[in-house]
Amino acid sequence: MLVHNYIEQNAEKFPYKDAAVHLGGRINYLELEAAVNRLANRLIEFKLKPGDRVGLLLESSINYIIAYFAILKAGGSVVGLNSQGTIRDFRNILGDCEVSALILSKNLGHVVKEIYQDIPSMKFIVSDGSYEHYPKDIEKQFWLDIQLTGDASRPYIAQKEEDIAQIIYTSGTTGKPKGVTLSHKNLNANTTSIVKYLELKPEDRVMAILPFYYSYGNSLLLTHMYCGGSVVIDNRFAYPNVILEIMSQERVTGFSGVPSTFAILMHKSNIRNYRFDHLRYITQAGGPMTPALTQKIMEALPHLKIFIMYGQTEASARLSYLEPDKLLEKIGSIGKAIPGVQLTVKDENGKVCKPGEVGEIVASGDNIMVGYWNNPESTQKVLKEDGLHTGDLATVDGDGYIFIVSRSSDMIKSGAHRISPKEIEEVIAEFPGIIESAVIGVPDEILGEALVAYIVIKDKIDQKELRKHLRLNLAPFKMPGEIIEVEALPKTQSGKIRKFELVEQHRQKART
Amino acid sequence: MDIAQQFRTFIIDNFMLGRSPDELGDDDSLLDKGIIDSTGVLELIGFIEQTFNFTVGDDELVPDNLDSVNRLIAFVTKKTKK
Repeated sequence: MLVHNYIEQNAEKFPYKDAAVHLGGRINYLELEAAVNRLANRLIEFKLKPGDRVGLLLESSINYIIAYFAILKAGGSVVGLNSQGTIRDFRNILGDCEVSALILSKNLGHVVKEIYQDIPSMKFIVSDGSYEHYPKDIEKQFWLDIQLTGDASRPYIAQKEEDIAQIIYTSGTTGKPKGVTLSHKNLNANTTSIVKYLELKPEDRVMAILPFYYSYGNSLLLTHMYCGGSVVIDNRFAYPNVILEIMSQERVTGFSGVPSTFAILMHKSNIRNYRFDHLRYITQAGGPMTPALTQKIMEALPHLKIFIMYGQTEASARLSYLEPDKLLEKIGSIGKAIPGVQLTVKDENGKVCKPGEVGEIVASGDNIMVGYWNNPESTQKVLKEDGLHTGDLATVDGDGYIFIVSRSSDMIKSGAHRISPKEIEEVIAEFPGIIESAVIGVPDEILGEALVAYIVIKDKIDQKELRKHLRLNLAPFKMPGEIIEVEALPKTQSGKIRKFELVEQHRQKART
Repeated sequence: MDIAQQFRTFIIDNFMLGRSPDELGDDDSLLDKGIIDSTGVLELIGFIEQTFNFTVGDDELVPDNLDSVNRLIAFVTKKTKK
C-alpha cells in the first residue's frame, strides 16, 4: 500500500469524519482528499517528476497534511523541515537532497530569498501568501489559487512501495545532518504495526502537539490517517493549560509526548483539575523517562493506559513498546519489539547476549530505512547484514524485556530533540578568540538534558556577542543554556576530551 | 527601568539574539512570532518570579497573561497591586 492511499480509502469509508482539527478549523476526509488532489495535480502540472524531493516548511497544520499527501500523490518525496531552523540548516538540508520545489508559509518567505541562489535544483515554490521579496525568476504558485481553481480529480502516477516517500533529517554525530530515507513500505510497515498495538480505531482522536516534521509527530499523523481517526493539532504547548482545555473540548482519546512534555504537564499545568473521560491512552517516546515521572503520571491519570515506547528515526519511528499492564513490573524497560520487528541484543562479535549481558540493540523489519540520503559511508556503519545497528546498549531480562543501559553515541537528548554536540562546537569554534570547546548534556528536570558549553578562550570575549553568533547559526533548541569559561578541558592521553568528567564536575557544582 | 523596558530587554537578550528588536511590537504574540517556545515560557516565568517577587500559579500560565509585552505588563501590574 502507498502512504497517500490512506486518504483515498478513508474519503470513501468515512467521507464526513474529521480528519484534522486546528485552531477551530476542521477538514473531513472528503474535503482532505479533494484538497490533496488539487495540490498534487498542480505539482504534476509544474513538472514534478517521480522521485523529486519537495521541501515542506510549514508548521503542523491542516495545510501541512494536505501538502504532505499531495507530494506523495504526485510521486515526490517529502522533506519536512523545522521552521525554527536557521538559514544554514535550510541551506544544508535542501541543498543535500536537491529539492525541486519548496512548499512554505509566507512568514518564512525570507528563506527563499536567502537560499535560492545556493539551491539550483529548486524550480518552484508554493506559498500560502504573497511575499514581496520572492525572487522574480522563480516560479510561484499560491495556495489559495490552487485550492480555488485546481483540479480535484484523483491523479494517477505509477508508484511502487519501494519508492522513496520521505527524508527526515536528524542530527548526525559528525555535526552534519543525515537524511533518513524512508520508502512507502517502511512507513506503511511502521504505521500498521503501531495501529495494531495501540488498537487505534476510527473513533480515535489524538492530540498532536509534536511537530509533524519530527518522526514521532509524523507517526501520529500517519497512524491516524491510516485508521480513519482524527488529529487535533495545536502548536501552543508553550502554554500547557491551553492544550489541556483543547483536549477536553475536542474529546481526544490519545495524547503523545516526550519526557519533557510530561515533566511540564506534571509541574507546570492544571492537569490535576481535569478528568479527561474520553482519554484512553498516552504514549511516551523520545528518550528515557524517569520512573518518578512515570509514577506521577499514573497518579494524576489513573484510568489511562500508558505506553512507553522506543525507536529511532532510522526505523520510521518505532521499534519497541512496553505493554501498559507491565509498566510497574518492568519499570525502566523499553519493552519488546513491536509487531513486524525483530530486536536482538548482540555483543561485539555479533553473538546474541544472554540475559543480563550488555550488548547493542540490532533491529530488523520492513520499517528499517533504505539508508541515509547521499551518504553511503554513514549508511554502511549502521545498516549491516543483520539489520540496523542502533548504537544503543542494552540488556535483556529473563522474560525478554529490554532495558537500555546507555547510548553509545555522543548525542544529547534535550526536550524532543536529538542534538549533536559537535554541530554546536563547530559553530562556537567560528567565533574569534575561542581556542576550543566541549558541549555536554547535564540532567534537567524538564528537558531531560540541558545543554552546557565549556569554552577555552584566548583573550576575554563578549559572551553576549558569542550568544548572538550562536543564535544566528543554530536553531533555538540547540542554544546552550550555560556557557562556562575554563582554563582547560579535561583530556585523555590521546587528547580526547573527557566529557563525562565535565558532566560530573557540573553535577557536583549543582549540588553545592 | 519601567516594566515594559524590563520585559523588552529580557525578551530581546534571551530569545531574539540575532533578530532586530524592531520585530517585537508590544502587542505581538511571542508564540506566533516564533520568539518563545515551551522552555522559553519557563524562563520567562523564572524572570517574573525573581524580578517582581511573586509566584506565578499553574493556572496563570496562559497566553492572556504572558503572550505579549503588553499582556505581561498588565499581568505583573495586577499581581503586584494586590
